[in-house]
Amino acid sequence: MAKKKKKIKAIVKLQIPAGKANPAPPIGPALAQHGINLMAFCKEYNAKTSHLAGNIIPAEITIYHDSSFTFVLKTPPTADLLRKAAGVPKGSSEPNRIKVGSITRQQLREIAETKMKDLNANDIAAAERMVAGTARSMGIEIVD
Amino acid sequence: MDWLEVSVETDREMAEAVSEVLSRYAPQGVAIELGDEPDGQRVIVRAYLAADDSLEARKRRLEEALWHLGQIRPLPAPTFRRIADRDWTAGWKESIPILHIGKRIVIKPSWREYTPQAGEVVLELDPGLAFGTGLHPTTRLCLEALEARVRDGMRILDLGSGSGILALAAAKLARVEVLAVDNDPNAVVATRRNARRNGVSARVRPLHGSLEAVSGTYDLILANLLAPILIRMAAERKLAARLKPQGWLIASGLLVEQEGEVAAAFEANGLHVVERRREEDWLALLATRA
Repeated sequence: MAKKKKKIKAIVKLQIPAGKANPAPPIGPALAQHGINLMAFCKEYNAKTSHLAGNIIPAEITIYHDSSFTFVLKTPPTADLLRKAAGVPKGSSEPNRIKVGSITRQQLREIAETKMKDLNANDIAAAERMVAGTARSMGIEIVD
Repeated sequence: MDWLEVSVETDREMAEAVSEVLSRYAPQGVAIELGDEPDGQRVIVRAYLAADDSLEARKRRLEEALWHLGQIRPLPAPTFRRIADRDWTAGWKESIPILHIGKRIVIKPSWREYTPQAGEVVLELDPGLAFGTGLHPTTRLCLEALEARVRDGMRILDLGSGSGILALAAAKLARVEVLAVDNDPNAVVATRRNARRNGVSARVRPLHGSLEAVSGTYDLILANLLAPILIRMAAERKLAARLKPQGWLIASGLLVEQEGEVAAAFEANGLHVVERRREEDWLALLATRA
């Protein structure tokens, strides 16, 4: 049956490893405060993401005032895509001084295209600027 | 084991970088609170560090990493809160109430005990994604209208059965046969499971499909759908054709402002609205054959 409009209580995005949701932190405290059925979320998330194990797959959960909820899966975090593209295990601990790696403009465009539907960007250039901003804050340079 | 909750308030764009820093110290993931508006700009990123012997050292490194990030774009200092580990699922179970609807209907989750009063019928339904601590107003309206009209011996059609709640209630309230139709295969599975759990599977038959898959006529039709679907189903007298001459249609899922167009579609297609029930912005209409 089609969904009927309900009042939104909160929207929570979880960036968690695919197929491994469980009621411990961060999922437990993040969702328990809104009074929703944690186990139902974990079961459904794991069923939908177990084939993507090894990746961080965000879930955006919309919680309604009657404690029901819906969720959608999102594209992997920009930081994750940047790390993979640059081939570095993690971002720089001092991104303003120490650069840990680089990606090409072509890779920047590809990541922006992947993230486009989830970013609050009007066009691909705006998406690229946002991805480049995240890259800069991780100490990853953009090279030609 | 306790946890240290780290919270950083920032904007959506910066949230990516903050999450990346926090997830280095909290590999089990981060939670980003986006407020109550889909396009809200202020967000809170939270992560949880296990409070073991190395906590202070990890906390210090995390603060340093956030400080460096703040050199690129200003960032407020993180806030810390110690929280005790507990069963995070427990509070939710306790929050699920036993619901009383109409005069006789009681809906309870499987983990709650309830001794019914004389005449009450108890439905056991566990909340899942679809409903939480209460029922949607349209479900309550349909249950109340159903309770008022259902009689032994009726043949009932439930269009858009979902969890099966209306079909189960009908089968519990009277000795009736119910055909529960839904175009979502998950709903068909849920209806079957819930019918079995409530001991009415012999009288509730789930069917995958829509109105077109149904033949014969019924004493009572339940259609808790949405206004455009009700209008579409009413067209060419398709809905009226499934209703016996003295039968009842309980239609819901329409908002108050949609009453005119739905009632007009009914009246133009062999149905006559005789009663309306309202809760919040929602309506249920009771109709007969014109």
